[in-house]
Order: sequence, then structure tokens, then C-alpha cells
Amino acid sequence: MYADLLHALPDVFALTNFAAVIIGVVAGIVVGAMPGLSATMAISVLVPFTFGLEPLVALGLMAGIYNGAMYGGAIPAVLLRIPGTPAAVATTFDGYPMAQKGEGGFALQVAVVSSAFGGIASAFALMLLAPPLSRVTLLFGPSEVFWVAVFGLASIIFLLGGNPVKGLISACFGVFVSVIGSDPIYGNDRFTFGQLEMLDGINIVILLVGLYALPPVIDLLETPLKTDGINSSKLGTESIWKALPRMNYWKTWLRGSFIGIWIGILPGAGGSMAAFMSYNEARRTSKHPETWGEGEPEGVAAAEVANNADTASALIPALTLGIPGTAVAAVMLGGLLVHGLQPGPMLFRDNPDIVFGFMWQFLFGAILLVLLGGSLATNSFARLLNLPRPLLGSVIIVLMLIGVYSIHGRMFDVYLMLGFGAIGWVMDRLKFPLPPVVLGLILGGFAEENLRLALRIGRGDPMILFQNTTSLILVALTIAVIVGPTLKKRYIDSRKSA
Amino acid sequence: MPESRKSRLTRPETLTALGIIVAASGFLFPTFELRAISALLPAAMLIGLIVLSVVLLLADQRKASAGEGAAPMTKSPKRVVGAFLLIVAYALATDFIGFYVSTVVAVPLVAWLFGYRSPVGLLIATVIVVGTIWAIFDFGMNQDFPTGRFWGR
Repeated sequence: MYADLLHALPDVFALTNFAAVIIGVVAGIVVGAMPGLSATMAISVLVPFTFGLEPLVALGLMAGIYNGAMYGGAIPAVLLRIPGTPAAVATTFDGYPMAQKGEGGFALQVAVVSSAFGGIASAFALMLLAPPLSRVTLLFGPSEVFWVAVFGLASIIFLLGGNPVKGLISACFGVFVSVIGSDPIYGNDRFTFGQLEMLDGINIVILLVGLYALPPVIDLLETPLKTDGINSSKLGTESIWKALPRMNYWKTWLRGSFIGIWIGILPGAGGSMAAFMSYNEARRTSKHPETWGEGEPEGVAAAEVANNADTASALIPALTLGIPGTAVAAVMLGGLLVHGLQPGPMLFRDNPDIVFGFMWQFLFGAILLVLLGGSLATNSFARLLNLPRPLLGSVIIVLMLIGVYSIHGRMFDVYLMLGFGAIGWVMDRLKFPLPPVVLGLILGGFAEENLRLALRIGRGDPMILFQNTTSLILVALTIAVIVGPTLKKRYIDSRKSA
Repeated sequence: MPESRKSRLTRPETLTALGIIVAASGFLFPTFELRAISALLPAAMLIGLIVLSVVLLLADQRKASAGEGAAPMTKSPKRVVGAFLLIVAYALATDFIGFYVSTVVAVPLVAWLFGYRSPVGLLIATVIVVGTIWAIFDFGMNQDFPTGRFWGR
């Protein structure tokens, strides 16, 4: 099993594949550094452009962007107290006070080294845990696969927090979109309204770009961001190699990596939760907790190591079960599907070089962070904050149109994307979670096909879905995921009132 | 925040819930023409959407009757509507008068309208964007872009 891992290594070092990771990391840092843009949005815009590329080039770009963006979010968090990505909120607590004291450069160097540490740990976790887990899923039949899909949807709806009714509405919408097109078994049209363009169903990329790229563009155009430029001109950066000996945060890095990896594996949780947990733990165990919040570099290390440690680990359930741990993982899952790579055990059996190569690309992407996000580059990336947002918005609009148009070479898809974009904007503003929509689209067809297959095997008897231990365990887990948060809330409320 | 709207029915969540109910009910009709097994999942999802939207609507109206205000969806509705309309106009222009002509106009126009007023910066950005697209997609990858229905192409 792990021999495939070594076998995939030479392909990763092919010039184009390695260059893709480098370009991805740089692009990711740029995107992460722009408040309002995120890795999810960047990968959504990127996916349609990767159609013609070799899978490892496309995946290398995605892995690089994901790693880069998680660090890039620290740049405005430190310099402007505006987190570039949601996961960088905890970085502002100590990063911004450091910048005010003229230590912004060191704060960013701590952030980049910690991000790289977290990313490396996460990549190793992916390499170690995904292959054996994928073997377990080989034992699954149609009814188990159906329940895995239901469990995945339930996890992302109920563990994501927020309003479960809104989460359910999002998921129902996603699943409904997944059934548009020809029926997979009988071939009759469903909700195509005579449009030939819809016979093959809704391409996931159209949905991704609409939901994840259009709302941030509207945000960019809606709110002009004013930067004072003070902190970015007083970075006080020295060489990263000189700064390294000052970073003695091994305990924080190890603890934060563990937290980040664990949170990444859990469906529905995400980088911001990991960063907060890691920050709180590091502060709780610190000998000088009173200095935290006033410019403590270890605070930056704790937040950044954890938010990068959840990157590759979020792909463990995504690659093995088809259940993404985070929104970015959901979008990456869409990217895999675009290249004909169906997540699950068959992925490891049929495309070992690609799937293991992807894991290596995550590892190298994390290592490259230190080299590309080092002292000189950090200064340059900090200047990105001065890029005019309206101009950036107009360029992204053009990229969205090109990307979606190039899928099938037709404007119909562009109009469809704009429709999903409008829906996405409303959902975003009313705090409807978007990941369940994507997951609903990915898992909807998958769940339906396996449900119908199971019912055929059981000659129409729905009890076939409950007739083996694995199915029952998955049903129990689904119920636990649905009921768990409510019970926990009641328990906390009862303790508060007691 | 106290409710400032004249009608409780114009609260964003209420309007969204009503919209979902209407749309899902509309989509429900075609499911009657499908085979039962083929209609199972879509019908379940549409009924689910209707039921959940009713729950959302009731919860929002309960908040309204308790005097809880609903935050507006945007602080600058004109800018948001303007941005949407410009994007749709750009897509239509691409379809009807062609990609390159529309892009050369849209990139500086959108940036200028939303606050970036440097003519030199706009010119440089437009040349870089359009030039890079042409070099990579048209020249490098032989990607065809819409040339415009208006011109009969």
C-alpha cells in the first residue's frame, strides 16, 4: 500500500507538475492576502481552466493554492487586523499588535514557518491515514455507500454549526440540483425543460464558480477597502534564516498540528475552529498568558500552525469516502471529479500515481511556503494589499466567464453560473451554509444510484438498507451527528442554569 | 435592532422562504410525470424544501412579532444591484457582440464605476488582461471565444 506512495514520487518531480505546485503556492498567497478572496474561491475559478491539463498539474495547482492561501490570510491579519481568510481571525490577536510595535515582518515569518510546519504535518497525516481507510471502504456495498453519503451530508449540515434548518435547505437544494438531467437508470429527462444543454446534468464547476466566486466579487465591488499603508511600510523584516533561531515553538507547533489535523478530518469543522482551539490551548499552557493579545509571537504560531494543519487532513475523508471535511475540500472534490477521479477506494486502486502524487504535492507545497513566503517575498506580498479592489473584481469577472464558457464552449453555462451566483449571494448574506449545496450535488447522484441499486437487490424492500452491521453503524453515526449538537447544547444550558 | 420595515413580510428571510416555497412547488409538478422510482429523490427534496422553508418562515415571523429586527442584506443596495447588472450586461455583450470587444470595455468600465479612477492604471490593466487572455487561451490553447451573435457569427 505504502509502496505506491514511493512509486508516485518521480512523477511529482516532473517539471510541469512541480512548477504547478510553485505557481499554486504563489497564487494562493496572493489570493489569501486579499481580504474577501479565499482558497475556496480561487480553486473554484481555477477548476475550469484545468480541464485540458494533466491531472497532476491541475491537482498540484490546487494543493499549492490551498497551502498558500492559508498562509496568505495572515498577511492582512497581521498588517491590517483584517483576516484575509476566515481561518486567519485568530492570527490577528497577536499579529496586529506585533505589527504596531514594528515587528510585522517577524510576525509574518513566524506565520509562514508555522504554516509550513502545520502543512507538512497534515500532508504526512494524509499519507499515513488515507490508504488504510480506503481499504476499509472496499468492503462497502450499495446500502453502505448510500448511508455514507447520508452521513456525509448530515455531518456537514449539523456539525458546521449555525442554523440546522438553513443547512438542511442548502443540502436539499444541492441534492435537487444533482438530479437535474437524464435519469441514470431509465434515461428519461428530469427538470431539463427541453434544454439540451441540461441533459447531462449541471456541471459541478458551474455551481462552484457561481456559488463561491460571484459573491466575493460582489463584495469586492460593494465595499471599498481603505488601507492606511502604515503597517505594511514598517515591516522590519530580516532574513528568514536569521529569524528561525528565535522561533522556539516546538510544543505549540506539535499541539497545533495535532488539533488542526483532527479538526480537518472531522466533517463540517474547519480552519478557523482549529486556529481558535490551538490558540486557546497554547495560551492556557503558556507561562506568560498575560502577554497574549499584546503581540506574543507564539500566538501567531499557534493560530497559523493549526489552520494549515487542517488542509491536507480535510482530504482524508474526502478522498476515501467522498465526504469533504471543509468547504475547500468540497471544491477540490469537484476538481477531482472534473478529471474523472471518483473519490473512494477505487481511486487508490485505479489511479495510485495520481492520488499519492497529490499527497506529495501537498507536502512540497507546505515546504515551498517557507521558500516562497520568506523575507523578500513577504515584503512583496504585503504590497498586494494596495491593489485596487474594483480592478481586481473586474478581472475576476472576466476569468469566471472564460472558465465557465470553456467547459462546453457555450454561453448557456455562463447564464446558469450567474443564476447560481445570485442564489449564492442571497444564501451568503442570509447565512445559509454553502458547503452542503456542493456536497449535495456531489453526493446526491451517488446516493440515489446506490439507493436504487440496493432497492433492486432487495427487490424493492427498504429493509435491505438496515440489514448489515456496517449500515447500522452508519445509521447510528448519522443519528448521533444529528442529535449530538442538540444534546450538547441542552447539557451546556442546563449546567449554566444550575 | 428594532424592526424598521413597514411590512413583516418584506423581511429578507421571509421573502427567501416564500421564494423557495413557490419555486419548489413549481418544480414539484413535473415530478408527477416521472416514474415513481425516478421521482423519489427529487420529490423528497422538493417537499423537504417546502417544509423547511415553512419552518424558516414561521421562525422569522416569530422573531418579527417579538420585535426583533432583521439586518438588511446589504448596506449599499445600489452598488450591489449595479454590480449584478454590469456582470449580466457583460455576459450578454459577450454573447451578442463578442468576447474581446466586451472585455476591452468591461474591465475598465467596471473598475472605473466602482471607484478606481486612474486612466493610466485602467489602460495598463486592460492591455495586460486582454493581452494575457489572448496569448494564453487564443494563441496558446486555441480556445474559441464567442464572436457575437449580433454579427451573425
